[in-house]
Amino acid sequence: MNGVAVSVFVFLFLLVTVLGFAAARWRRAESLESLDEWGLGGRGFGTFIAWFLIGGDIYTAYTFIAVPATLYAGSVVGFFAVPYTIVVYPLIFLFLPRLWSVSHRHGYVTPADFVQGRYDSRPLALAVAVTGILATMPYIALQLVGMQVVLDVMGIGTESTNWFVKDLPLFLAFAVLAAYTYSSGLRAPALIAFVKDTLIYVVILVAVLYLPSQLGGWSNIFASASESFDQFNTENADAIAAGETSARGMIPPAAAQWAYASLALGSALALFMYPHSVTGVLSTRNRGVIRRNAALLPAYSFLLGLLALLGFVAIAAGIQVENAQAAVPQLFENEFPAWFAGVGFAAIVIGALVPAAIMSIAAANLWTRNIYRAFINPSATHAEEARQSKIVSLFVKFGALAFVLFLPNKFAINLQLLGGVWILQTLPAILVGLYTRWFHRTALLVGWAVGMAYGTWLAYGVEVPGDPGSHFGGPLVFFPGTETKVYIAAVALLLNLLVTTVLTVVFRAMELDEGADQTRRDDYTADIGDAGVAEELDPHEPIHA
Amino acid sequence: MTDASRRPPDGPRTPHPSRGLWILVLLLLAPAIVVPLMVPIYDRTDPTLFGFPFFYWFQFALILVAALLTITALKVSWVADRRDREARRDRGADR
Repeated sequence: MNGVAVSVFVFLFLLVTVLGFAAARWRRAESLESLDEWGLGGRGFGTFIAWFLIGGDIYTAYTFIAVPATLYAGSVVGFFAVPYTIVVYPLIFLFLPRLWSVSHRHGYVTPADFVQGRYDSRPLALAVAVTGILATMPYIALQLVGMQVVLDVMGIGTESTNWFVKDLPLFLAFAVLAAYTYSSGLRAPALIAFVKDTLIYVVILVAVLYLPSQLGGWSNIFASASESFDQFNTENADAIAAGETSARGMIPPAAAQWAYASLALGSALALFMYPHSVTGVLSTRNRGVIRRNAALLPAYSFLLGLLALLGFVAIAAGIQVENAQAAVPQLFENEFPAWFAGVGFAAIVIGALVPAAIMSIAAANLWTRNIYRAFINPSATHAEEARQSKIVSLFVKFGALAFVLFLPNKFAINLQLLGGVWILQTLPAILVGLYTRWFHRTALLVGWAVGMAYGTWLAYGVEVPGDPGSHFGGPLVFFPGTETKVYIAAVALLLNLLVTTVLTVVFRAMELDEGADQTRRDDYTADIGDAGVAEELDPHEPIHA
Repeated sequence: MTDASRRPPDGPRTPHPSRGLWILVLLLLAPAIVVPLMVPIYDRTDPTLFGFPFFYWFQFALILVAALLTITALKVSWVADRRDREARRDRGADR
């Protein structure tokens, strides 16, 4: 434990804590006791704030910890995060303006609202809402894992074997996060996102410029990583042949190309079905902000790629860690002066806090609007709704904590990919629904259920390499009938689409009631200033025709 | 806040006044979606650039290309949006 590093870290952590609580006063609101203030920050965020907020959604502890960890461990498939962020922006550019338009014309605040309005099906809307909440938890869990790793490397934390005492600092950081999210709502992460991004940019720029210069340049870094992988492969030739461990390499083996592409596309499609991305997008002021952001956000992708390469930098710097996720924090600890290591640690932890807050708020909104008010208390007052959201935001965070404690988190990235498997099953209802209503609502519901069950079952069956009988060990399975590994989410989605298509034909032949569609074609292209387009979404307003 | 019952139902599709521009937007965005997914074309080590294996520098280059394409698509979409808006206003004035 280094006194200087820890002091700098604690100082920055306290700074954002103060900001988090003070955020309640930012862009002054009369009262936070309503869902639009608490859950959507009063809405009306322009390009600038939206850029930070959406960037905060996308670039998380996953970026800093999980992706470099896979490269450090010689599993280059983890670099799929780069094509993922390349592919995602054109997709956002194409799809999300339609969602913005139809939402602002009909007062939809969540993806489940849209599904309800489009398909006139309460069970389907419920399925979408439940999936959103469920899929968010492992994503938040990933953030907690990132924080845990940093705290470990810093040496805060105790040697105790009691799980509660051991992770006490994590619980403490977590409690602070929960407290200011509870009191300030979406304003807290929006304001902290500025600090987070500034810290992250500084740390990344220093890391990718300073570290290579200390380690003989990028050529040397790639060469040492390559050498270390070759050595590993030679030493473990028998284990690799027996399938107990995987061979390491600088570029994906030809057999992993489908895995690489399907992870990139699957993650990109999943991203904007997550409730937190939809929250970010719908809180923007007009359609144009979304497109403009899609054009601006790739600035982050470049940094993401360089960050991923820190996994190789760690190898070149001779970092030896049991747990690959500790590679980057350990690299900071070893290579940076103590005070700057503290800044680096703070950047990672704050970088985990912001998305965790945004995600828990989005999941809570989903609960309040689409489950609490739709099924439990239709006549809830504004204050009751806000209270529900606040309490559920706590509940979601504890759910995430359960994921951290009960699932193997050796490779945190698997947690997020499990969430992706689930959330992608809502694609036929949401994304396809933005273009056509051909799918029958009941077929969509059955397809969703099949996709969820099949995807979870597949993920459950994946063993951690070298640990027979374990579960949730990775995101890849053999595509049925082939020897090619692909992302589980893609396999489950294909089955989902197949079931939905077949059943749609059957149900249409049976002339099963398909409900009333309250949207019209021109709703999907409407912009601010057109008739009936709400400037701001009001979560208290029920959805309307 | 329009009431659906008072709004006319969807009529036949009217031709988009700026259909060509929207197709151009799609064409601009397509490579940014498709090329990153064609892994076999860049899954190789050589040629290296500044010490970066091809696999890595190609993807960094792709980020820049994709960003340029998206910015261009954005500009085209502004023009297309404006024309659509004017056309809608004209149609509205005809009624």
